[in-house]
Amino acid sequence: MDIVVCMKQMPDLQQIRIKDRKPILENVPLVWGDLDKNAIEEAALIKEKVGEAKITVVAKGSDKLQQGILEPLAMGADEAVLLTDPAFEGSDSMGTAKVLAKAIEKIGAYDLVILGEGSTDNYSGLVGSALAELLNLPEITYVRELNVENGKVTAVRNMEESFEVVEANLPVVITVAQEINEPRLPKFMAIRKAGAKPRHEWGPADIGLSADEVGENAASVDMLSNLAPEQDRKNIILEGDLDEKIDALVDALIKEGVLGR
Amino acid sequence: MDFTMSPEQELWKQTVREFADQELEPIARKIDEEWHRIPDEVIDKMADLGIFGITIPEEYGGCAVPGEEMQYAVTTIHELARGELSMSLPVYTLLCIGWSILMVDHATEEAKEEILPKVVTGEWFLGINTTEPGGGSDLANIKTVATKDTGDSWIINGEKAYISGVREATERGGGHATLFLTEPEKGYKGATFAYFPADAPGTSYTTYSDMGRMGLSTGGFVYKDVEIPKKYILGEENKGFYVNMEGFNVARAVVSAACLGGAEKCLEISADYTKQRVLFGRPLLNFEAISFEMVDDRAQLEMLKLMLQKGAWLIDQSRKDKSKVDFREINRTMAMCKCYAPEMGVRVARNGMMYHGGFGYTKDTPLEMSLRGTMSYLVGAEGGYHVMKIIMGRDWFGDEAVPYRGSQVGH
Repeated sequence: MDIVVCMKQMPDLQQIRIKDRKPILENVPLVWGDLDKNAIEEAALIKEKVGEAKITVVAKGSDKLQQGILEPLAMGADEAVLLTDPAFEGSDSMGTAKVLAKAIEKIGAYDLVILGEGSTDNYSGLVGSALAELLNLPEITYVRELNVENGKVTAVRNMEESFEVVEANLPVVITVAQEINEPRLPKFMAIRKAGAKPRHEWGPADIGLSADEVGENAASVDMLSNLAPEQDRKNIILEGDLDEKIDALVDALIKEGVLGR
Repeated sequence: MDFTMSPEQELWKQTVREFADQELEPIARKIDEEWHRIPDEVIDKMADLGIFGITIPEEYGGCAVPGEEMQYAVTTIHELARGELSMSLPVYTLLCIGWSILMVDHATEEAKEEILPKVVTGEWFLGINTTEPGGGSDLANIKTVATKDTGDSWIINGEKAYISGVREATERGGGHATLFLTEPEKGYKGATFAYFPADAPGTSYTTYSDMGRMGLSTGGFVYKDVEIPKKYILGEENKGFYVNMEGFNVARAVVSAACLGGAEKCLEISADYTKQRVLFGRPLLNFEAISFEMVDDRAQLEMLKLMLQKGAWLIDQSRKDKSKVDFREINRTMAMCKCYAPEMGVRVARNGMMYHGGFGYTKDTPLEMSLRGTMSYLVGAEGGYHVMKIIMGRDWFGDEAVPYRGSQVGH
């Protein structure tokens, strides 16, 4: 079985400071998103279960990927494709999906393509669906349980207020939710071996695209601003005894639309 | 010159930090106050990650990177100590991975094959056993003695004191690298170093009630006609004192790393607190009496970290090729680290308690736990604070600075 996992590095959200409502990204280290780790973990679990499988990670990002890719390789990936060419920078979600689709087509063999349900920074959640469309594959989103058997997948989807069980034939694109697994910490020996696993760096030409078909040049969505929401505290102090305060609190929450939807 | 970590070293550091955050920090208080031991499942998880094999070659089941053992050992202990501020688990681990190095370098093949794989899996504990009721600083005057030599083994009588892990080695299995006399009339030149299995018949132990690091036992061993096979020798007969000292340098590095990690975490706790604690209308951090002290501490911890990295690197280089490194430089560097690391650890924890006021004196912050645990390394263990100064003085001034110069017994 051939599994492709698409992953993205992002600034460590714990370390971003906000100044004048704008995130300060300088000197913030890059980390893998939590959902991206769920994706590689699921691939590793499937490989452990079915025995024969090859996991290829495809990641688009800066040259820092050369260092960062060690982690998914130590978590169980067998090979990595790095899309670090500066021409790829500034892609919108569709552009990213296009580049990933071309890279996956070049890899050639893929029974399962696994991604996080969204990236933990922008969280557009668009890339998985666009990728499935471009690869002309079925897609199952928000997967919290996945079972692969006899050329088929059975997946439990988290629909927030219900679970949905669906089935599809391979190949298929899967986007995973956080509750699907607990990503492993790589073992020391796996870290040591990860450095020797094959990595390929592909630019636009390697995947059959020209420089103006990728990155900022090809983006159809322009980011006009990226601001943190304003949060003003109302500083309401409720008076009275406990029962009165509880009633007042419930009234206030209903008025704010927090309760009683 | 290069101070950058390799991608593998970076990823390992991140991995151990995540492990410490997720698995150790939530249970540190329980280890210290309720359980008074390190849970087996935590040791199993650490073994599974490869932590206990970090200094042991693959041929004995370990995963050591040849030539980088100490760099990895120091990083590992540093990160573990950030998560477990009582110091119990960092000390347990640093003893195992530190004394494994000495065993790799000086044990017989038979002993290595028997012992090291069990240390890697976390099954056995490995520690150090030199101090006696008469003291630990004046090691040349130990009394534990081989009263008989049967050819294949020694019959040992004597007593050891203030030993970490007496209960753990006895209950889990494993033992301690032990210094004893084989030719008592020659003093330290008649001392031999060997691995003593804690379950050797005739061995008994008692434990003490300590001030801190309550999850790891401290106690004494009594040896009454205990037979120790010679296959357990470390180095050569009557040269044990020097082998022991070599082991102390490794131990001082990982001990310093434990103090450094704990101090670093205490300082972060203090930074978080002083940022949000408002007093007289402004954050506590706004008072220079506090912020200046904190930046002093931070700068000094950074200096310690660099010196420790150098020390670890020196030991790694010397293990690759002894002729390339001056043993005295290792000795000096490690004494400097081991002198100041616990002192800084205690100071940073104490300073943090001061910023927290009455809250800092409660067990609702881990600061007091860190202070109690780190004190153990100030008073003793691999040489206490003042012994490090004796070593530094002798290194610099020569024998004129040695207080025991001219003494009669053992020197």
